[in-house]
Amino acid sequence: MEEYAREPCPWRIVDDCGGAFTMGCIGGAVFQSIKGFRNAPSGMNRRLLGSLAAIKQRSPIIAGNFAIWGGMFSTIDCTLVHFRKKEDPWNSIISGAATGGILAARNGLPAMAGSAVIGGVLLALIEGVGILFTRISAEQFKPPNPILEDPSQLGPPPGFHQQPNY
Amino acid sequence: MESHSSSASDTYASSYSNRDPGMNVPVHSQQNLAPLSPYLNFDPVYLPQSQPEFIFPEGASRQRGRFELAFSQIGVSCMAGAAVGGIGGLYNGLRNTTLAGHTGKLRRTQLINSVMKQGSATANTLGVLAVMYSGFGVLLSWGRGSDDELNTLAAATATGVLYKSTAGVKKCGIGGAVGLGLASIYCLWTARDRLQGFQQEYNPAWKR
Repeated sequence: MEEYAREPCPWRIVDDCGGAFTMGCIGGAVFQSIKGFRNAPSGMNRRLLGSLAAIKQRSPIIAGNFAIWGGMFSTIDCTLVHFRKKEDPWNSIISGAATGGILAARNGLPAMAGSAVIGGVLLALIEGVGILFTRISAEQFKPPNPILEDPSQLGPPPGFHQQPNY
Repeated sequence: MESHSSSASDTYASSYSNRDPGMNVPVHSQQNLAPLSPYLNFDPVYLPQSQPEFIFPEGASRQRGRFELAFSQIGVSCMAGAAVGGIGGLYNGLRNTTLAGHTGKLRRTQLINSVMKQGSATANTLGVLAVMYSGFGVLLSWGRGSDDELNTLAAATATGVLYKSTAGVKKCGIGGAVGLGLASIYCLWTARDRLQGFQQEYNPAWKR
């Protein structure tokens, strides 16, 4: 991914928190509008009102949950960068798992383990897709191999003996 | 081969010799810079010494736009809301549990609940406001093609109106007015140097 397009490390936490909040806010608004529309009593006006009420009620909460996830993830990521002295996909995977575990801490140990596994797998998928895209886009810039053929295999050109061309 | 190359070197040496006045151009503009590097062949007066000179990619603006700053602003307001709300929640929780006479585990759980509840509520409110403001600001600067105080004022007013848009016309107007007022204070604060410049220019009594 573009490492230089992001903020340097301590400020990345704030940036990621804001990005996750925005994502949750907009995504939550879309989902809650659909949900409120479907669950409202019949009548177009009532459906739109139900959709609006659902957005107002639920989408800030979803956004806040996203923001906590993003901020926690980025904090652990930066901590790992500081202590391991390198930035690689393992940082993201570890911090995804740790974030999932920590945020489920009040639900008991089995829930923590499940959340950690889900977080780790999710971040591993994201990182894998990122690496895949980098490979594919790098393939475009590979210089083409010059095709070297041995001309002697072709034999003499046709009409070589009949008409000398000079 | 040998004779060829020797004759060629003779030719070059004879026409481009050291004694040629055309070759005796000084390499360094100032003699005292000579021990530093032969590449410092320019007058350092042309280097601006007061402000840093950044190199920008082609087509990039000289300042970060609203979109680049939006996520940081949203994150800052969200975190600030969480901190303020958390402290308020801690205060309220302490007061309520003391009044109710809770102790030990019960009190601790009540405190955690209170902090989390009030913190997340404040953080969500401030974050949503920041998302609205940033969205309006980005749209305005994108649509108008310029980024100035007018965008700030308009975005803040629109944020206030939108945030209170479901609470009736009167509250909606109050929200817009609050947004406009806060944005005006912010603009006056950030533009105070320029305003002072105006004052000095147009007010003869201000002259020093």
